[in-house]
Amino acid sequence: MQLKKSLANGWQAIEVTGQVDSKTVGELREFIDTQLEEGMPVALDLHGVPFMSSAGLRTLLLLHRRTVEMGVDLAVVGIASEIADTMKVTGFYDYFTIYPNLTSLPEA
Amino acid sequence: MSTIIERIDSLPTNEISGFKVRPGRPLPFGVSHVPNGLNFSIYTSAGTACTLVLFRRGEAQPFAELQFPANYRIGDVFCMVVFGLDYEDIEYGYRIDGPFDPAAGHRFDTSKVLMDPYARLISGRDVWGNEPNWQSLYPYRARVSFDDFDWEGESPLEINPENLIIYEAHVRGATKSNTSGVKYPGTYAGLAEKIPYLKELGINAVELMPIYEFDEFENSKLHPESGEQLYNFWGYSTLGFFAPKAAYAASGRYGMQVDELKQLIKMMHKAGIEVILDVVFNHTSEGNDKGPTLSFKGLDNKTYYMLTPEGYYFNFSGTGNTLNCNNPVVRSLVLDCLRYWAAEYHIDGFRFDLATILGRDPWGAPLSNPPLLESLAFDPILSSCKLIAEAWDAGGLYQVGSFPAFGRWGEWNGKYRDCARRFLKGDSGMVGELAQRVQGSPDLYRHSGRSPATSVNFITCHDGFTLADLVSFNEKHNEANGEANRDGGDDNYSWNCGAEGWTEDPSILLLRKRQMMNAMAILLTSRGIPMILMGDEFGRSQHGNNNAYCLDSEISWVDWSLLEKNTDIYHFVSSLIHFRHSHPALRVNHFEDSGSSLLPSCSFHGTESWNPNWSEQSCQLAWMMSANFEQDEQNCDIVYVAANMAHYTSWFELPEAPHGYSWQIRFNTGDDDKPVQDTLQPFVEDNGLLLRDRSVAILCASAAL
Repeated sequence: MQLKKSLANGWQAIEVTGQVDSKTVGELREFIDTQLEEGMPVALDLHGVPFMSSAGLRTLLLLHRRTVEMGVDLAVVGIASEIADTMKVTGFYDYFTIYPNLTSLPEA
Repeated sequence: MSTIIERIDSLPTNEISGFKVRPGRPLPFGVSHVPNGLNFSIYTSAGTACTLVLFRRGEAQPFAELQFPANYRIGDVFCMVVFGLDYEDIEYGYRIDGPFDPAAGHRFDTSKVLMDPYARLISGRDVWGNEPNWQSLYPYRARVSFDDFDWEGESPLEINPENLIIYEAHVRGATKSNTSGVKYPGTYAGLAEKIPYLKELGINAVELMPIYEFDEFENSKLHPESGEQLYNFWGYSTLGFFAPKAAYAASGRYGMQVDELKQLIKMMHKAGIEVILDVVFNHTSEGNDKGPTLSFKGLDNKTYYMLTPEGYYFNFSGTGNTLNCNNPVVRSLVLDCLRYWAAEYHIDGFRFDLATILGRDPWGAPLSNPPLLESLAFDPILSSCKLIAEAWDAGGLYQVGSFPAFGRWGEWNGKYRDCARRFLKGDSGMVGELAQRVQGSPDLYRHSGRSPATSVNFITCHDGFTLADLVSFNEKHNEANGEANRDGGDDNYSWNCGAEGWTEDPSILLLRKRQMMNAMAILLTSRGIPMILMGDEFGRSQHGNNNAYCLDSEISWVDWSLLEKNTDIYHFVSSLIHFRHSHPALRVNHFEDSGSSLLPSCSFHGTESWNPNWSEQSCQLAWMMSANFEQDEQNCDIVYVAANMAHYTSWFELPEAPHGYSWQIRFNTGDDDKPVQDTLQPFVEDNGLLLRDRSVAILCASAAL
């Protein structure tokens, strides 16, 4: 799994590439804990993620909590339809605002 | 700023097979999350040594085996914390050493990897019907669950029992058919898609047939003639009491069944619908001495099963073995299990399959004061859960009316079912008993101080004919089960209305429809808790099969296209359910109730008011129920039901409505065009109504418009 941070339309975008599961999730958490800037909305770009395990989805929820605490918006971008399906049936989907890609993000 | 002080016990003290470990805690049993590691705890009273066996997900061979050091045992419990495990990826089991001496009750075998009886997540049957690897060293595998679901402040509904209307459903059967139109057929998520429908129907509790992990391949076979694969479809054979069935989850292949089921329950609760689980504690899927060793048998056979003095399995369940429920250790397991489901899954109630077994002592004799039933009745965590017994077992113990209730237990009322069925088909000599049944069976429950809502009233359930089949078949037709029609009950009290099964005769079809409506009318105007079988509200058929336990096919799946075809039956049932919700007189929950300020709580009538015909030949009975409206004590609720199961039309004289009240007719199954009277008009012929043969009319009296 690789992580890259960039700016898009006033959002801080975290681009994730590779599988998010219990083996890689620690790195993502560490990144969220240390790399996020206060006061700026967060977009998690998952178009390079083919699979997210249960632990991966839980990390999304932690990120959601963290952004609520920071008082900023969170967007999830480019999610694979199979992951979206799993999120829908398990209730995770309801917590997120989903966009197809970074360019479709509203101006922040 | 305060700092979090690291605990000493968050660090290992020993190393076994390359893994850092420390002595664990005996409680809770099972596996639990502790700082930096997992706490494993397993009980065996006669086992002499224990090894933790670890697999990576799906791999055939274990990657590690950690024998518990002698000092990691406290009493009969082996416990150990293992550090640094990838807990999402591991599957774990145990090997227990000890004597193999069946005559003495011991069946220890270290060649077997055993599943943790407290496993909250089980893999191995993740996708329904995927042919398993029969040679697997460890076919059903314990995994570690997260148990961190976000309920968003939601909690169990605690609807008063007398206000419940239960809908019995099979998770897979409910939506597996293409006609269900759901995105995830046959799953928890699929059922969740039907919540708007259930809400519109008006029911407020769903009772799910077994959802504890079971193996659909247990005793599976091919139909001897058709070659069709037959399964353990119903699931009355538990593998793990703490784990939801993975193959009922669209996300089961990812091991997310725990979240998916919780999401279903959360959505049900948001819609005001309780979730009751049908639980099977009378036996397990390990069978008898010929059956497989999966868990209990190899962990502590003598503790978990009722054994004859020679070490054979008692078979009160009819399935090979009998769980030893009144052994204190097993009792704790059952209690821990139900507490877990109530607290972690927000389950609102439990229906206990073959529950009289739970009241037998370790040698099978019925106890007068069964400790398990008492523990459940007085448990602080279960205090607002409904506890409902199927008060009979396969060993001949029938306790409807006498199940040890401790003021808490309700019962599936098998006598209600039989009486209502016989009355419906016009049997003579039923009106006296029916009068008891519609009041909530005071003949069964009053003397012991129980209430009408003790009685779960039903005419059909998963076990037996559907309602449409009850009025279409005189005999069962179970050929599809592959047992030459020998299986299934023969005491169905059914009547085909003039032709066996499928017919085009319009008069027979009309009569069948009327009979279905009659059944629902009686059920939903009886005191107690009505229970409806899924699909009966729109005439679901199993083509005469009264025991579809092994069928995973169109026969056992709900055909949702019938909803459109039989929209009039659906409209009738749904209207009746809403009628029940708005009429407290039908939901009075005291046998000693003094009634409303104008009328007695329940009175009986015949073709003459206040004068029922109790004679042997009578097939006609009317009942009038009354109670004050809670919000408006001056206003009385009065409901009158006339049931004419005779083969001729009769004039039913109405009891005089109290001063200022007038009768309105709300339902009349004898009116083919308009069985539901939607437009409320005072009933003009104030002294009676002409009721067609085999018909039910429901009226209510309201303060004059």
